Order: sequence, then structure tokens, then C-alpha cells
Amino acid sequence: MAALGTARCLFRRYSWVKNVQKSKQMLVKCTARTLCSGTQDNALSDNTKPQFTDAAVQDLLTRITGLDLEKVFRPIKQELKPPTYKLMTDEQLEEAVELAKEQAKKMLQMPPVLPERKPIHDVLSEDQILEGMDTAKYVFTDISFSIPHRERFVVVREPNGVLRKASWEERDRLIQVYFPKEGRKLTAPLIFKEENLKMVFSQDRHEDVLDLCLVQFEPDSSDFIRVHSATYEDLDKHGKYDLLRSTRHFGGLTWFLLNARRVDALIVHMLKREQLQDAVNLVSLFHMVHPHSESAQEASSQQAAGAELLKIYAQKESQRSGYIELALQAHEQMAAKSASA
Amino acid sequence: MIRGGTTHLGIPKSMGSSRETSLLLKKYHGGYVVLRFALAGHKQANRPFYRIVAAYNKRARDGKYLEQLGSYDPLPNICNEKLVSLNFDRIKYWIGCGAHTTKPVAKLLGLAGFFPLHPMTITDAERQRAQTELTATGTEDGLLEGRKEAEV
Repeated sequence: MAALGTARCLFRRYSWVKNVQKSKQMLVKCTARTLCSGTQDNALSDNTKPQFTDAAVQDLLTRITGLDLEKVFRPIKQELKPPTYKLMTDEQLEEAVELAKEQAKKMLQMPPVLPERKPIHDVLSEDQILEGMDTAKYVFTDISFSIPHRERFVVVREPNGVLRKASWEERDRLIQVYFPKEGRKLTAPLIFKEENLKMVFSQDRHEDVLDLCLVQFEPDSSDFIRVHSATYEDLDKHGKYDLLRSTRHFGGLTWFLLNARRVDALIVHMLKREQLQDAVNLVSLFHMVHPHSESAQEASSQQAAGAELLKIYAQKESQRSGYIELALQAHEQMAAKSASA
Repeated sequence: MIRGGTTHLGIPKSMGSSRETSLLLKKYHGGYVVLRFALAGHKQANRPFYRIVAAYNKRARDGKYLEQLGSYDPLPNICNEKLVSLNFDRIKYWIGCGAHTTKPVAKLLGLAGFFPLHPMTITDAERQRAQTELTATGTEDGLLEGRKEAEV
């Protein structure tokens, strides 16, 4: 019967299809993109070096970021709605503040810091017979709804007959075409070019740039990393750390500076604002990330905590030790005065 | 008829529900499901855009279909790409249900690597190459003749 014939034909085709599918499944399975949670296990981490996603690291970074409710919930450009007023008892007010803190914590979730993604060069088949069939390439996207975007098949058939997997930029563009994400454009906005970045930094709008970058690019794309490092460099140069304090980008900034070992300016800045606890957290984070440095070994041998950590760090590692020691002395004098008074 | 009634025209009332039994029950005498192109956006002249669609064979090309399985844009975009989207999950389902494919859909699936390459794709490629060689040699001969005439 016709049904049997079609079944046989389908079976033959299915075995072919199975082989093609297997070769397509040699995709590098990247970890799915999620916002950092403290208990996430990074499959690519070394055992020796602490990664951005470790629970301890994340904890310290959240403490340094701070929780300034005024700044987190400052007016964003939104549609104008008339404000609502509610009459509350003290308890209800406390509950509302608690809720606001929870929401602020969610808004302060740090975007992930991932190593740069490696370009895709997989060729699925080379059919020289097809050479010269057309002047344009065919790009095939799989629109099945339940596949995560990282595992989607996006395949290009070139005019010379080569069937290859699409590069990361092509993938991002096509996934945006068929599964549009809010706020993302097909071509990157011109703000991410070098000259325009400089202009925006002179206007102190680093946070807006970072928010746009987060929406537009994938966290492991080269553009994302380039824009972020340019922003952090500029902030470090001018010492404008306050712009990012109590936003979700502060953790990324701190991590970048830690890996580059240029935390001195940040510690000095914190001491100026008299945020001693933050400075201590930062130094302990530094020791966690660079356990082989002199100050880390000294600290672990002396089991120091608090202001002593800062002293050890000031003596061993930093170039501006003078300022840090002065600030520490001033702090101790203040503490002594307030204790006596 | 086991499943739901039919209208007086013999078209089944519940189009989408009884695909598995449709081949046996022959509601559409000899009708079967096809995966084919349907022209979309027909209100614009000279700008074709096709939807890859699973529909009953006898239906109009742009008429009611069972499910849309993808799209095909025959005009290349800024990056010189012809965009084709295919819902492989559902295509596998329909082929498993016994749907046929038309020639252009089979060609596209062959180019994508989902099906083996269609023989007509290869033949077309060879013909295209022969054509370009002819025109290349034709222009060369024409150039040579032009130079000879210029000399003379």
C-alpha cells in the first residue's frame, strides 16, 4: 500500500536525517545564560582560582555594592502616572520597606561575567557540485519554540556549496529576527562606537551605557566585553566610582579591577567616604582572588581581620600605602574620640 | 464517520483534530496533507514572501492551512542572505503523520541539510554554471572581436 511505501521511504530518509542531526549536535554546549545566583556551579572554572559566580565572592561583592534604596528606585524615564498615596501604620510601613528591599535586591542582580566566546567554524558538509548555483547565501534557522537559544540550529549554505554553522553575530541577528527581545536592535546602536563612548563618558552617563549594553549584547560576546572594559577603564581613570555604587554593575567593576590588580584607587575612594567595612571586604576579596600574593599569605599567616587586613595590604601591595595608613590612623582616632566622649 | 460531523459540502468540521485517521477515512477523497509554499503579503506587487505551510492538498494555495511551519524570503537582504525559517520539530511531526512535500520545499530542506540534496538542485547548479561559462566566453569573444574591429 501507499502507506507502507511512504513508511519505507521515510525510514530511509530518517536514517539520513539522524546522521545529519548527530553531526549538528556536535555544537559546543555553552552554559545557559542565567543571572548570577550564589549557588551556581560554573563548569568551566578551575579549582584553584575563585570565579565570579562563587557564593563567597558574590556575597562580598553584594556587600560592597551597598543597598541605597533612594538611588535604586530613583525616577526612571517612564510614562507619567499620578502618584498613589496610602495610609499605613508603622508595621505596614516596615513591611513595605522590606518588600522594597527585596525588589531592590532583585534589581541589583549582577549581570554575568563570562569569558569571551570562541568563534564557530564548524562545517557540516561541502558539496562542490552546488557551486555557482546562486549569488546569495541561504540562512536556515530552526524556529522550534522549546529549544534554548544557545542550542538552536542556525545554518548557512554558501554559494560555493559549503554548509556551515552560522557565526555568533549571525546567530544573534537571526534569533533577534525570529524571537525579538525587547529593547534589542538588529544592528548595534551607534553609541557603542569608540568616539561616541568617549562623548558619553564625558557626560557621566556610564550607567545608561552599561544598561543598553546589557540589553543589546550577549554576556560573552566580544562587543559586550569591549564596552564594559572601556567603561570600567574610564571610571577608574577619573575615579567616578560613585556613579555605579548601589547599581547592578558595581560587582562587575570591582571584579574587573581585582583581576587587573588595580584596587588602590577604589580603596582610597572608600576610605575617603569612611566606608571601612567595604574596604575590608574588598581586601579580603582581593586575597581570595590572588591567594599567592604577599599580602594574602601574610594575612592568612596572621589570621588578621578588620583594619589590620587593610594595614597588611597597605604595607605589602599598594602603591599608595601612605594615604591608606593615614586614613586608618584618622579612623582610629575618631573611634577613640567617640569611645571616650 | 467516527469523528465529528461534516458540513453539507463534505468538508470536515474539525479540521485539525483527526489527521491520523484522515488517510483511512478519506474525508477528502484522495486528499492528503502537503508541506508547501503559500504566498503571503499578496497585497504588495513584486515583493514575494512565502510561508512554509502544512495544508490539505485540495485547498487553495493561499487559503486556510493546518499549521505554519516556517517562512522563506526569496529576495536577499542587506547581508546578501535569503532568510529561511523552519520549525523542524513540527516538520518532523507532519512527515511522521504522512505529509508529502512539494518540490520547492524538498529543495529547500535539501539545501538546509535536513533532507538529502534534491537531484534538481544539482542539475540546476550545473545548468547555471554552464550558463555563466557561456556568457563569460561569449563576452570574451565579444571583447576579442571588438579589439579586432578597433585595430582594423
